[in-house]
Amino acid sequence: MSTWHSALLGIRSSGDYFLSTFMFGIMFGIAAAASGIENWQALLMSASVFTASGQFAALEFWQAPLPLGTIALSVFLVSTRNILLGMAMTHHFDGHSLGRRIVWLYMLNDPGVVTSFRQDESVDRLGYVTGYGLSMMTSWLGSTLIGLSTAQLFATFDLGAVDFAGPLVIATMMMLFFKGSKSPPIPWIVSGIVALVLFEIGTANYLILLGSVLAGMITAILQVRRTYG
Amino acid sequence: MVDQQTTLIAIAMMALIVYLTRMTGYFIGLQLRHIRGVQPVLEALPGCAFMAILAPAVRQGSASEIVAMACVILIMWRSNNVVFATGVGMAVLLFGGPWLDGS
Repeated sequence: MSTWHSALLGIRSSGDYFLSTFMFGIMFGIAAAASGIENWQALLMSASVFTASGQFAALEFWQAPLPLGTIALSVFLVSTRNILLGMAMTHHFDGHSLGRRIVWLYMLNDPGVVTSFRQDESVDRLGYVTGYGLSMMTSWLGSTLIGLSTAQLFATFDLGAVDFAGPLVIATMMMLFFKGSKSPPIPWIVSGIVALVLFEIGTANYLILLGSVLAGMITAILQVRRTYG
Repeated sequence: MVDQQTTLIAIAMMALIVYLTRMTGYFIGLQLRHIRGVQPVLEALPGCAFMAILAPAVRQGSASEIVAMACVILIMWRSNNVVFATGVGMAVLLFGGPWLDGS
């Protein structure tokens, strides 16, 4: 399948996450307006940063004087999973120039990567993920604008109840990943257990991520060594 | 109120950081791809990251959050319907909270 057709497939496949991204975008627009960010600045942020978790993390510190170092660190920490998504796509973006891969990686997004593993071998993964990302970007920008425009209506509305929406959406991706994977889920189970143990002993969030991913990775390596002998 | 120049610097910095995280993993992977059997290891990583986020979130979740998560997992297990699963989960959070959490 050509890159163009794969991108169209990515756009067509993105309906489900288009809607959930839309919901987060509205919430981001409302939160950005409450933080005193001007509309065009919030839209610029959504277009250039293009990550819900990172943008919400930055908003928590959005007051003068802006703590740039703290914002940089928190955005980096919540975006570290992008490193893992990129590593997962290593074998799937072949056949494109380096320049195209460098530019199109800007559109790398969680649901695009997760659902790409469920696609037929003939699908061009870079085109698919990029098409999916374009759809997510459209949803994210449109909903940010709506959130900014309607923020006054929600001034007294408590959004605290939907704080857990992020983990719920991640759970949907985890389930798609789990059901679409050809390998046993042991590394993920180990990661989950290690994350729980680290959480219980009061470890910092970034160390929980690091430790549990490392444990999952070691488990996956042991699995591969057993398979290959 | 944050001044415009600082805001633009912050946005540019955030954009650069996030883009670098997107690119770095791929290029680290390219350095490792010649190792025999590395592909399944790399492809397991996003699932490990999701579990690292989900497990602590559920552990410290309230009753309504745990029920919402259970609904999402069950619906995804049976149907793969992301919109329905997320919608039911959100409904449990919004409307089930007062009963399940006793607040």
